[in-house]
Amino acid sequence: MSRIGVFVCHCGENISRTVDVERVAQAAARLPGVAYATDYKYMCSDPGQSLLKKAIAEHNLDGVVVAACSPRMHEKTFRKAAEATGLNPFVCEMANIREHCSWVHEDREEATAKAIDIVKLMAARVRRNRRLAAITVPVTKRALVIGGGIAGIQAALDIADAGHEVVLVEREPSIGGHMAQLSETFPTLDCSQCIMTPKMVDVANHPKITLHTYSEIEEVGGYIGNFQVTVRKKARSVDMAKCTGCGVCMAKCPQKKIPNAFDKDMGTRPAIYVPFPQAVPNTPVIDRENCTYFKSGKCGVCAKVCGPCAVDYTQQDELVTEQIGAIVVATGFDLYSIEPKPADSPIQGYGEFGYGTIPDVIDGMTFERLASASGPTGGKILRPSDGKEPKEVVFIQCVGSRAREKGISYCSKICCMYTAKHTMLYKHKVHDGQAYVFFMDARTPGKNYDEFWRRAIEEEEAVYIRGMVSRLYQKGDKVVVMGSDISVGIQVEIEADLVVLATAVQARKGADTLAQKLGISYDKYNFYSEAHAKLKPVECATAGIYLAGACQGPKDIPDTVSQASAAAAKVMTLFAKDQLEREPIVARVNERFCAACFACKKVCPYGAVEEKEIRDRQGNLIRVVASVNPGVCGGCGTCQATCPSKSVELDGYTDEQVMAMIEAL
Amino acid sequence: MKHSKMQLSAETMNLGFVKKVELLSGSSVRRCFQCGKCSAGCPMRSFMEHPPNRVVRLLQLGQYERVLAGRSIWYCASCETCSTRCPNKVDLAAIMDALRKLSWDAQGPSKESYVQLANRLFIENIRTYGRQYEMRLAAVFNVKSGQFLKDLMLGPKLITRGKLRMFHQKNRNIGEIEKIFSRIEEMRKNGEAP
Repeated sequence: MSRIGVFVCHCGENISRTVDVERVAQAAARLPGVAYATDYKYMCSDPGQSLLKKAIAEHNLDGVVVAACSPRMHEKTFRKAAEATGLNPFVCEMANIREHCSWVHEDREEATAKAIDIVKLMAARVRRNRRLAAITVPVTKRALVIGGGIAGIQAALDIADAGHEVVLVEREPSIGGHMAQLSETFPTLDCSQCIMTPKMVDVANHPKITLHTYSEIEEVGGYIGNFQVTVRKKARSVDMAKCTGCGVCMAKCPQKKIPNAFDKDMGTRPAIYVPFPQAVPNTPVIDRENCTYFKSGKCGVCAKVCGPCAVDYTQQDELVTEQIGAIVVATGFDLYSIEPKPADSPIQGYGEFGYGTIPDVIDGMTFERLASASGPTGGKILRPSDGKEPKEVVFIQCVGSRAREKGISYCSKICCMYTAKHTMLYKHKVHDGQAYVFFMDARTPGKNYDEFWRRAIEEEEAVYIRGMVSRLYQKGDKVVVMGSDISVGIQVEIEADLVVLATAVQARKGADTLAQKLGISYDKYNFYSEAHAKLKPVECATAGIYLAGACQGPKDIPDTVSQASAAAAKVMTLFAKDQLEREPIVARVNERFCAACFACKKVCPYGAVEEKEIRDRQGNLIRVVASVNPGVCGGCGTCQATCPSKSVELDGYTDEQVMAMIEAL
Repeated sequence: MKHSKMQLSAETMNLGFVKKVELLSGSSVRRCFQCGKCSAGCPMRSFMEHPPNRVVRLLQLGQYERVLAGRSIWYCASCETCSTRCPNKVDLAAIMDALRKLSWDAQGPSKESYVQLANRLFIENIRTYGRQYEMRLAAVFNVKSGQFLKDLMLGPKLITRGKLRMFHQKNRNIGEIEKIFSRIEEMRKNGEAP
């Protein structure tokens, strides 16, 4: 490029306050290769852009440097403007003299000198820019949704309703997730099952949705638009095609005393089971660890009683590979356990609450199952130790959450609301009972949320006590709660029949392993990281992978459903095009010099480097070289810095360009 | 009492008392969310052992003995700053009124408080004379409270400025005033007035 135009922006006063923009423009005009330089009050405004277009046409410019704000802010704006005049958009670059200069300096002289230097660097780089063409990648219009809770269900239905194929993978034998376990939902107190099960049935019946339950993600390869995902379908021991869901096998199974995890181990289930009556699919699974046949080879009752002969003890895990264009991760959450910590977890356990040894200290989800009409008590609130109806119930919020000592400093967001809901459910079922809640803060930011919380206090007569509980201990058949009301500054003691802990929302166990398979990032709590906290809340930094629900952070149902629909919309946006266009700032390998050491392959964070075989016409292998898949490359330049033979270069940041920039100073 | 531990249970929390307070005051007690704005603006706060917000909080926990045992409710000047500024429409001044009334009825621990004595003498004066006779009020209060010399030196000053009359002036329509008193007594007997 030998006819570069430099456009220096005042940014109102943001730049011109500390930088003498006119002098910058004058200095730029004298730079080698610069044919035109000017300054303007607001380059990004409509007149500013017209000025740029006019100058390109009038002065026949073949390169543009806009000295203004960060390229993150307006690079797209100016490249678009340049493209409108017929210029290649990738010869338009920004020199950041706002964030990197005027905002961080006070001395006008020095700031102006620095701004001139920054423009010099950019001009040197633009002189050596290549005219790049946007990269196009084909898109497989088939989405994978990982997790069959309310987030996954919503995302799958939205994408499928838009007419695209969806593969929904669920680890448990049935979809439904945590929401299927809840009794009623805040802030309207409608029954969770009643609003959930129709959606579950919709998923099962949708012609565009392929449902893999009792399955896990084994391996993920490929990149946006072109993922290859291997799903492990665990052996169900029941043929889904033959099973009619009659339930005779479950009724006849002699092994009936297995604690039911769906009911938080309160009820029991047989060894061949569906987790709950409304399960989708309604096909039982044999729990091989507890099945007498699998343990001793004797029994086989279920196979004998099964009319359609669906029970198949010889079934093996099956690996299915799916071609996928976009992935929605909706793996949900786990609840903190107060029980003694396993050796591998530094954060579990609550000694002052008895490490889970007091039978009448339960967590919120257990209370949900007690209150649920389909729960182990048929919806009666009965305490676990002796099955009596508790008359005084103490709820404790922030157990595990906001507890730096436990390694969790975040707020779990949903506990204030579900505890308020629990006090109401309790009052509705035990009219002469009294609910107490120990809380630090009540956080109820949501539509009709604060009103709901106040209703629990003002109308349902729950006694809220501000202050954390110091200790719980068993005294006779009561649990003594030692707390303090900090608004009056007096210690409080309650002899409770039942204590319910609002335990923290945590990332799923194994969330990190899945993230590593997917190549997405996660925070120190193993929650998946979004690309931008505010402006890209559903996208992952890895292109083509989107987040929905509590796997990204604690979230209630309305937020989860919103995010799931948002993720679905992102997938549909991606699927709206047959070809995917992306920035051509990618690495290229000079195959003539590549020594095939594959150091670049080891350091590439995107997994974009592949081994390429070069063969002659007869098909004999001549040599193997590294090759960068432009669809996957993130343009970070790590390979370029690593390559010992200097045979990988990042377009737009080639060694030649970088050296020229240094020399320009 | 003031700092002793609270044992909370359905028995120890007198929520019936709270209902009475709500009925008398016409204001919700439960509605208060303890923002503390009442205590922040209360001119009598520095004299109270339980600031206004804590009075409400103790009521919410059904701890009425703690409220009535203290003198906070008697220090309340009924200036209504709290009620005016409350963000949550709790009429704290009315609650204070109701508490004073209930304290009186309950033969509460503050029965012998000077405030109650002063209130009673004030009303008796009105009934007898149809208007206030300050000289008698002060004299009887000092005798009955056993503080014979209380505020004695204020007397001459008030007299010279014409603020305190030596002799009373009876209201001409004292019969009408007596009718008001007897009607309220009648209503109270029938349970029509608090």
